[in-house]
Amino acid sequence: MSDLSVRSWRKASDDMSLDTGDQKLSARQAGQPLETARTRLFVAGAIFALCFAVLGGRLVQLSLLGGGQSQQRVAEQQGGALTLQRADIVDRNGTLLATNLPSHSLYVNPSQVLDANEAADKIISVLPGLTRADIFHKASAKGQFAWIKRNLTPEQHYAVNRLGLPGFSFEREERRVYPHGALFVHTLGFTGVDNKGLAGLEAALDDDLKQLAATPGGKMVTALDSRVQHVVHAELSAAMIEFKAKGAAGIVIDVNSGEVLALTSLPDFSPYAPGSSKASQRFNRATLGVYELGSTFKTFTTAMALEYDVVDMNDRYDATKPLKVARFTIRDDHPQNRWLDVSEIMIHSSNIGAAQMARDVGAERQKEFLDRLGMLSPLPFELAENGRPLAPRHWREINTMTIGFGHGIAVTPLHLISGFATLINGGIKTTPTLLRNDTPQTEENGGERVIARETSDSMRTLMRMVVEQGTGKKAEAEGYLVGGKTGTAEKATVGGYKKNALITTFVGAFPMDAPRYAVLVMLDEPHGNKATHGYAGAGWNAAPVLGRIVSQIAPMLGVMPLLPSSTEDNNEDDNQDNTQLLVRAAGKGRHFASY
Amino acid sequence: MNRPALILWIGLPAIVTIALLLVSYQVKGLESELAELEHAALTQQEEIHVLNAEWSFLNRPERLARLAKRHLDLAPVAPKQLITFSYEPLANDLAAQDFAAQNIVMQNLVTHSLITKGLAQ
Repeated sequence: MSDLSVRSWRKASDDMSLDTGDQKLSARQAGQPLETARTRLFVAGAIFALCFAVLGGRLVQLSLLGGGQSQQRVAEQQGGALTLQRADIVDRNGTLLATNLPSHSLYVNPSQVLDANEAADKIISVLPGLTRADIFHKASAKGQFAWIKRNLTPEQHYAVNRLGLPGFSFEREERRVYPHGALFVHTLGFTGVDNKGLAGLEAALDDDLKQLAATPGGKMVTALDSRVQHVVHAELSAAMIEFKAKGAAGIVIDVNSGEVLALTSLPDFSPYAPGSSKASQRFNRATLGVYELGSTFKTFTTAMALEYDVVDMNDRYDATKPLKVARFTIRDDHPQNRWLDVSEIMIHSSNIGAAQMARDVGAERQKEFLDRLGMLSPLPFELAENGRPLAPRHWREINTMTIGFGHGIAVTPLHLISGFATLINGGIKTTPTLLRNDTPQTEENGGERVIARETSDSMRTLMRMVVEQGTGKKAEAEGYLVGGKTGTAEKATVGGYKKNALITTFVGAFPMDAPRYAVLVMLDEPHGNKATHGYAGAGWNAAPVLGRIVSQIAPMLGVMPLLPSSTEDNNEDDNQDNTQLLVRAAGKGRHFASY
Repeated sequence: MNRPALILWIGLPAIVTIALLLVSYQVKGLESELAELEHAALTQQEEIHVLNAEWSFLNRPERLARLAKRHLDLAPVAPKQLITFSYEPLANDLAAQDFAAQNIVMQNLVTHSLITKGLAQ
């Protein structure tokens, strides 16, 4: 363009010089402005070229290189996965137990509110749970921010949105939701409004849950089984009503892996409103409460006596009359007034016999044995509520004897069932866990052997006999070979025991020929009724509850029942599992001499 | 310079510019589509998440037990409802150890259970 114009301009000036006729002069005179114009044109051209270059460059940058932003975004949101603040908790079958759901929280920016009076009226009309004065105060205060209500339901969110009030806005938040409501409240616990775990598993594994949430699809797989939990919860609730008990606790544990399938403490409370519940509801009887669990401890005494070879199955103890030790008298609840052998001590739950057995073992060995079973220290359990057992500081002979039948030592029900599982699973220490763990705690896997396999076999036989012939008859669940031990203890109060306030316990396992699951039922202050002829002992309330639980959960857990015909005829079968034989034969009171 | 060159030098940038603009708009369109899809995916994931919670809520064992009691004639499995191949009355049949024998056993089992239920003779 500029080239063109220069040329035409030059042509015109040539014509002009011809007209004047003075070529030299005109050429010199005309050369000056021509040079100036050329320079100007060049500068202008250069500026324009530069501008166009910049524009062109920008165009190229925008159209060709501008994709960086979207590429980055794609890289960031690989898969566009939903990220939450806290990981989900699921049970062993993948059923959702706790999750975070998006919710909206209402807040107010007072500086944008036009009419605080009107706003308060309108808000109260859709959120009747709030107080009008409070909203008015927040809406008319100085400042930029105040929460009105956290975690609105979708309906409330919609209703407030429809009011269209200036100054009121929503903040997206997450709310912890427990689809099963109160069913798992003593196991999972609950979280606060800021998604911080405040109790139970939520509190104990708070950091793990937050870290898991960062990984896509990360969730916490627990050992719990919602079906088993429901059965335990339902049966305990019914028992609390039936026996007018103050509370109850129930635990189901896998005796080989230590996995806790169900853990309940009643009464319980809503995980959404822990603040409005009573202290007795929030108290976890299964893991935090320590109790003198009475005769169930005779299992430990017997196992200990057999393990240290202090007695064998045929040894007898004098239970003809109450035993006087120092200023104490030890009596039997089911007095037989005769000499009892070890199995009879278990079957009739003889305090006198157990006390003598414990005395024969001695304080030192008893203390060591209970310590190895984990009875003297808090369990490493994944809950914020872990009770510390109470044991005598000075372990004298009288302590040894009372501990022999479960008095003078207080442990949590979880301690009891873990120790019990250890006795009957072949003798490997069972450490309870709430997290799914499929590897059985065997010696090869680093499991600690507490008692010999033979002692464990004897214990299984004895446990089965208690249910077949002894105080635990009502715990029988047809076909599932339940074995276990009753425990009825008077509640300790300041300076003594309350006569009519009992803690009744039944701890059992099934099937006794090859135990897979242990179950514990504890009732707090149950009362007798017509059906129990007024008796309030464990054999009358805790035992039948356990039987009902077992008969419902065993089919769920895939435990094959022993068929009615084969129970009678298989004794002569050589291929039969030896231990199975042992239990059945001993159950009928035959092969006893073999011990 | 001649006329074709002029046309070329003016025309080419024009075409390139227009093409670039078109591509640029297309990219922008695709980007917003991507954002929309991402948003939709996220929304759906959130919905699935909520539905999962609802599914778990509706599958509460307590609720299922209540509904089953009201609408179904089901009860926990009783031991006598289960049978194995080692069951004595069937043990002789099983000794044959071939599929034909097992089929007969299965048939016997079914008939046996139907008879006990009063559904067959």
